[in-house]
Amino acid sequence: MELTESTLLLDVVKVSKTYPPDVIALDDISFNIQKGEIVFLTGRSGAGKTTLLKLICCLEKPTRGYIEIGGNDLAKMKPVSIQELRQHIGVAYQNFRLLPKLTVFQNIAMPLEVCYMDRKTIRTRVHELLDALDIIKKVNVRTDKLSRGEQQRVAIARAAANKPSLLLADEPTGNLDTASTRRVMDLFQHLNSEGATIMIATHDELIYKKTRHRVFSLDQGQLQLVQTEAVVQKEQKA
Amino acid sequence: MKYITFILTQTARNFKQAWGSQLMTLLTVSLSVLFFTFFFLIYNNMLQAASRLGDELRLIVYLDEEVKSSLQAGYEKKIRDFSEVEKIIFISPQESFEQLKKQLGNDRDVLDDLDASFLPHSIEIYLKHDLENLSRIKEFSEYLSTLPSTMKVQYGQGWIERFSYFMNLLRMIVLLSGTLLALTATFMVSYTIRLTLVARQEELEVFRMLGATNSFIKGPVLIEGFLQGFLGSILGLTALYFCYLWIQDHFSGPGFLNLFEFSFLTSPQALVILFTSVLLCTGGSLVSIRKYVSI
Repeated sequence: MELTESTLLLDVVKVSKTYPPDVIALDDISFNIQKGEIVFLTGRSGAGKTTLLKLICCLEKPTRGYIEIGGNDLAKMKPVSIQELRQHIGVAYQNFRLLPKLTVFQNIAMPLEVCYMDRKTIRTRVHELLDALDIIKKVNVRTDKLSRGEQQRVAIARAAANKPSLLLADEPTGNLDTASTRRVMDLFQHLNSEGATIMIATHDELIYKKTRHRVFSLDQGQLQLVQTEAVVQKEQKA
Repeated sequence: MKYITFILTQTARNFKQAWGSQLMTLLTVSLSVLFFTFFFLIYNNMLQAASRLGDELRLIVYLDEEVKSSLQAGYEKKIRDFSEVEKIIFISPQESFEQLKKQLGNDRDVLDDLDASFLPHSIEIYLKHDLENLSRIKEFSEYLSTLPSTMKVQYGQGWIERFSYFMNLLRMIVLLSGTLLALTATFMVSYTIRLTLVARQEELEVFRMLGATNSFIKGPVLIEGFLQGFLGSILGLTALYFCYLWIQDHFSGPGFLNLFEFSFLTSPQALVILFTSVLLCTGGSLVSIRKYVSI
């Protein structure tokens, strides 16, 4: 599965998602993201952030509209191709989706195993991420023995393990203290500098208030572009 | 190579995670193979014994008068027309008398005052090895009794019937045990793998979300079934070999087993059993995969 050379990585066109009987999670939203961009997605709980991320990583299908990733229309892709595409997408889930009986190392190694990486590469990469997120001491601890904040960092490390082209993070700092939040954001910046496109769904205003990146807001299934302080200042200077 | 390494690592991990049920399944497969191969071993050896005894099988037709040399060819033709036979020997009373003397050995002097003429003329008919087909021997015997000058037809009717009945019984046991044990082994492997898959649903779900392909998820499960079949049959055959050694050790010497050479399974037979076991167990895991793993 190859992503095209186009600079457009994600294209969401007139997407709606309705859950039975008639709960509208997303209503006719359209936006796109260029390669190497960082985008924030904000909104209150239940605004549809998680739904949108699920649609992008093919865990659910839109009721209407279509989504293209790297030039591939998700609706037209075969299951095998979707699996291959998922190897290029890292997802840090809001509920972590870690395997409690496996250790931190084993959990983070999973996406690398899926790509048949050799043991040495896996070990190096896992240690690198654990170092960056300051949980290296917990490498051989089962994830059910970790605090929520540590579990969250493991989930982020797993999402970033495969150096994905697109990283989706759902409330990545929800359980973290300031220092850990900074470490996570530093990791995202580092991945972004290596070429990864990052989409962060959050309602933590602190992490996007001063950003110069685009911030989208979801409310009642509707998407809007938010004018952040940094953007306003930039426009005023201009 | 990376794929194979991964598959083997993952299989080892699966075994480790559910070692209790895996061990029970392995034992079930081993016992199934042991039970089936034990009956098969007995049956196989009885077949060999039957073949050896069949070499000695003959029908004796007692005649009330001599068959002249000129008529012997006609008799032979009539006999061969009905059934294929190994050889036909016309025996005079004198030859029978000499044979009897030989058989009596040191007690031959009981015949001193007797004349060979009290013995009838006879024909010995050696059959091609066909101990299995009892009804054919019976029919043949009935046919021979219709030949001119036939007084009586004799063959080891009693023991042939008993032996044939025993062989039929053994064949039924082998077939039934083979079928039932094959089903048991397949079901057990399939069931264990199903349990393992259900227990690993969460893990498989996460793997799917991370982009695991079909071969990534199904490969280790198939290998699990393959290994259950392979190791199970190896264990079963090894146990059978020890049983065989024990039987040889305890039943050698004068007795039943001295009638024939009690032999172990041949290499091709062992390989077929091994291959079948692997095939059934892999099939069992395939059934579970199809039911419980979908991308």
